[in-house]
Amino acid sequence: MHYANTYLAKPVVGDLEIESEGTTQVLKCMLNTGSDIYQGACKKRGSTLKEEYKNASGTCYMDPRDMVKLGVKNWDHVLVKTDYGEVVLNAARSRDAPHQGTVFVCKGPWANTITSHETYCCSDPTYKGIHATVEKTDREVLLMADLMRWVYKKYVDEEDDDVVENMESLGERPVYNGRKWEELIDHDL
Amino acid sequence: MTYEPPVTDYDHIVENCTCAFCGCNCDDLDFLVKDGHVVAVRHACRLGASKVMEDMDQRLLVPMVRNEEGVLEEVDWDTALDTAAKYIAESVRPVFYGWSETSTECMKEGVELGEYIGAVLDNQATICHGPSLQAMQNAGYPIQTLGEVKNRADVIAYSGSNAMNSHPRHLARYAAFPRGYFRQRGRFDRTVITMDPKFSDTAKCSDKWIGFEQNGDYGFYNAIRAVLKGKKLQSESVSGIPAEDIYELVEEMESAEFGVLFFGLGLTHTLGKQRNIDIAIKMVQDLNANSKWGLTPMRGHFNVNGFNIFMAYETGWAFGVDFCRGYGRYMLGETNTIDLLVRKEPDCFMVIAADPGAHFPNGANQHLADIPVIQIDIHWGPSTELADVVLPGSFISVECGGTSYRMDGVPIWMKKAIDKPETCRDDEWIVRELKERVMKLREEPNVADKYVPNEGLACLLDK
Amino acid sequence: MEYILKNGIVYDPANEVNGEKMDVCFKDGKIVESVSGDAKVLDVTDKIVMPAGVDPHAHVAGPKLVVGRLYRPEDERRGVAQKTKVTRPEAGFSIPSCPTTGYRYSRMGYGTVCEAAMPPLEAKHTHEEINTIPNIDINPLPLFGNNWFVMEYARENRIDDLAAFIAAFLRISKGYGVKIVNPCGSEAWGWGMNVHGYDDKAPYFDVTSREVVRALAKANEKLGLPHSIHIHPNDLGHPGNVPTTIATLDSIKDIAKSTNKAASVRDQTVHCTHLQFHSYTGNSWKDAASGAEEVADFVNKNKYITCDVGQVTFDETTTMTADAPMEYDLFKISGLKWANKDIECETAAGIIPCIYSPKAPVSTLQWAIGLELFLHIDNPWQVCLTTDHPNAGPFIRYPKIISWLMSADKRMSMIDNGEVHKWASKRTGLGSIDREYDFYDIATISRAAPAKIHGFQDRGALTPGYNADIAVYDINPNDFDASKNPEAVEAAFSNAYYTIKDGQVVVKEGDIVATKQSHTIWTNVIGYEEEEKQIIDSIMPFFTQYYSVKWENYQVHDHYVPNPVRVDVEAK
Repeated sequence: MHYANTYLAKPVVGDLEIESEGTTQVLKCMLNTGSDIYQGACKKRGSTLKEEYKNASGTCYMDPRDMVKLGVKNWDHVLVKTDYGEVVLNAARSRDAPHQGTVFVCKGPWANTITSHETYCCSDPTYKGIHATVEKTDREVLLMADLMRWVYKKYVDEEDDDVVENMESLGERPVYNGRKWEELIDHDL
Repeated sequence: MTYEPPVTDYDHIVENCTCAFCGCNCDDLDFLVKDGHVVAVRHACRLGASKVMEDMDQRLLVPMVRNEEGVLEEVDWDTALDTAAKYIAESVRPVFYGWSETSTECMKEGVELGEYIGAVLDNQATICHGPSLQAMQNAGYPIQTLGEVKNRADVIAYSGSNAMNSHPRHLARYAAFPRGYFRQRGRFDRTVITMDPKFSDTAKCSDKWIGFEQNGDYGFYNAIRAVLKGKKLQSESVSGIPAEDIYELVEEMESAEFGVLFFGLGLTHTLGKQRNIDIAIKMVQDLNANSKWGLTPMRGHFNVNGFNIFMAYETGWAFGVDFCRGYGRYMLGETNTIDLLVRKEPDCFMVIAADPGAHFPNGANQHLADIPVIQIDIHWGPSTELADVVLPGSFISVECGGTSYRMDGVPIWMKKAIDKPETCRDDEWIVRELKERVMKLREEPNVADKYVPNEGLACLLDK
Repeated sequence: MEYILKNGIVYDPANEVNGEKMDVCFKDGKIVESVSGDAKVLDVTDKIVMPAGVDPHAHVAGPKLVVGRLYRPEDERRGVAQKTKVTRPEAGFSIPSCPTTGYRYSRMGYGTVCEAAMPPLEAKHTHEEINTIPNIDINPLPLFGNNWFVMEYARENRIDDLAAFIAAFLRISKGYGVKIVNPCGSEAWGWGMNVHGYDDKAPYFDVTSREVVRALAKANEKLGLPHSIHIHPNDLGHPGNVPTTIATLDSIKDIAKSTNKAASVRDQTVHCTHLQFHSYTGNSWKDAASGAEEVADFVNKNKYITCDVGQVTFDETTTMTADAPMEYDLFKISGLKWANKDIECETAAGIIPCIYSPKAPVSTLQWAIGLELFLHIDNPWQVCLTTDHPNAGPFIRYPKIISWLMSADKRMSMIDNGEVHKWASKRTGLGSIDREYDFYDIATISRAAPAKIHGFQDRGALTPGYNADIAVYDINPNDFDASKNPEAVEAAFSNAYYTIKDGQVVVKEGDIVATKQSHTIWTNVIGYEEEEKQIIDSIMPFFTQYYSVKWENYQVHDHYVPNPVRVDVEAK
């Protein structure tokens, strides 16, 4: 059957030529999180296990000048740290630049690991305006299921972050016993 | 994105369906249906279309329970419901969170269960517009329906809201572009102002962008209020905005025939939180001295406002209502989900039509790793990775009818267009089943023998 | 199931029963002449028996109530009560949650309440709330006074089209009758303005309040609806508004009441609500005084008018009305948190907390004017008991008002002992009135008259065939001086000995013992189908262009009215 397609592998971002290695190891900046249309579309179509959600939500949008400073190209990986945690993200040129000194990460499991749970007694965590550092890294951006396993370790008997990070991936499909979803659903990929 | 030919192979069209994505609740969608599936959708934005044209790979179809190895195992409905009911019945501090993507009909079952067992009922407002609700409790709430905006507004301000990304049809259907009764030329008759530190997609299609600095919201609005009251600004710039720009802006806002301020999470998630909105509301009230202004919070989910409205008329309070003592308690920052989780209070967590896994900060979610989590949803998502029982619901407005409330409080009946997958159940049915099973398992706690009027009310009656 | 209420002292003004000792029988939810020997006996020897209360005007369900609740958690906390085996948790004082509203009306012996303002666009919301309120039946009145289509028809004097429009919109919104609030004024509020007086025009619409009200009254009588137009006139709460009020009422004089069967129950062609707020003389609050005598005199002389009072009760309450510009005026005076809600093409609403203090001159003046109206209007069939809940006070104060009406001593002592501000004696004539209501009068203003005014043919009286909606109060009227015991009156009317709804005992000795789903009462006009279709077709292009919802999703489906009482009106 022919379905209209809403799938998009990666958000569209502007080109960026990076020649040098960069001048800064660690970039101090302000972190904002929030939604954008790629993240929203991906989340609600329900493809959260997949690469497309990782690219939409697990991406750190940066000012191109900051990217030059760090020497990161589009879709290179960066490690973002705050007082509340750290996470590996894709780097990409922001569509809303210039905003030097500010990085934007769409809401999602990746952003959650570095945002503040402080509500200051008004119910709402502080998702925006958090001090952060960004540095280039070789580590991989985890898929959603792997990330959830790495952060919360609810169903693994292992405490060590590095070990969990390098476990075999849970993949991009639901993982559970005996499921024959192909038979239940009429779908075409 | 590559070019895609239009879908022409369909059996019939279902018209006037409602979009179950953001608070715009566009009710003009046409679903193209073939063999009982929606194969395309007309009039929707990218967000709405992507939700209706869901990814079936991750659709939850069968109830599941975690086994001893920590793997989700398919079970029949009875087993899943009994397991979930047992978790709830055995808990002393259950939290039922979510509700913003389901119907008020389902919430009705939920509030009955919550009152019976003594749970905390809370929704996504707690992580988005909670501060807005708190601010309106401090300062007031001058709003208008979106049709008023369409027909009358000549100045539209977006503050801390990137509507083009989070409410893509907002400008087109209600605010900036449509031809209204008193605004026959549509966009040409209106001035659009975006106030946001970021040069967002909304700012890009506005007439004016006020890029105040990060966390500068409060100072900026305070300056506007000062100028409105005829004061002279003492410094050359406020929150990064030059004083003369503020004077100019105030003049523009004051000379509006009908102005509207739409504000989003940019105000609620930064450090001033509810105070940012307090002052924005007060600014709107001040503007009414010489002009006509209103505001509307840009609610994110299609029924997040609905839950607040629903809870207000059912229980008296909007969200974060705690029934553990047999009567409602409401205290922002105490009886809300994030605060409860951070304090590690809950011992059972039911999430319905929401995704804390995707949207709660790490510091709150950590506690979900320690307690049983029951998930009622339609897709396998981040919360499924934390869930111990998974109950597959149905898709409101596509597979199931129900009532929702738009961001401006207009109620909309979301009709059903196609049948749900055979193995799924309606949210309403699931929660009712849970309620009945919990009632069998456990006697109702904290019931008074006799009606005892509240002492405060009693002394008022004596007056 | 058969029941007999034995040996009560019955007050049933509709059947001219005034304090007679007699039995009341009911069977299967209806009042009957007699029952068999198997009937269950409820002994109410020497207790007051009345039809269950009918509230002709209150705001209990709908969007502005919710805004009130959302933004006043402090008010919700004032009425908290723990759940029981029968009742859900309670919350709220002036704007209680829906279940609480039902319980509290029930405890006072009420059975029917009119929700007095329903914007058609948000009618579904009102109906959702009605379905959540237990134990009382509700008839909601849709708002027509600032509707763009109505203003258009009124300007062009298209009464036939207007009648068809009303018929259609009553069905679409599942409403009961025609409510008018500050005609043309709420539309002017769309631009931050108001209209002043009865002959001012709404901006851009070139139509005056007078034209709108007269057109709606004519259309109402053309259809012969059970209720007359229900009007909240212009200039509410403004000193010097008496001329506007009288001009409004006077303008209906020449409109003949319909001869239709459905309209035969009522006598009036206009019901003026919360008259207290419309009876001020003076030019500003500095020299404001009571206009109650003049207004009451006008009502006494004109039998086509009925009213309810909107009695101020000295509470911290929440005012809410579709008269949005007036609420902004209040905000400018008090500076309390102000909420507003404009509704496209239909109406607007404003909300603001309000503290009526007996120490404050204006509150006291309003209090005294309300009582003066009750006492100056000679015929109790023309005046009803309301507080315009929650505007002048919460409905739980009705028993207190009853005690004031029944005791001149109480009123005098309040004035003489300085319990209320001296404006009560200086600017009103309340102190010189010694009239006292008796239980028959009370039964009239709180049951019989409101039921008649709303044209109900199934409630408000203990007539065989009527619904078994009955209230019993623990007072022996033959051995009781209400004038000397106002506290006992208030206590008895606050906690009914029995409240019976549709033949089911829902309150016993002040406690809720059962709850039942409420009914939604709406008017179904028969005979206008063709005209309705034409009018809907004619408004459709406009609707599609200027409303923000689709017509299909605008209408109130049966889903929202699961328990209807449909009142069929043969309009032709």
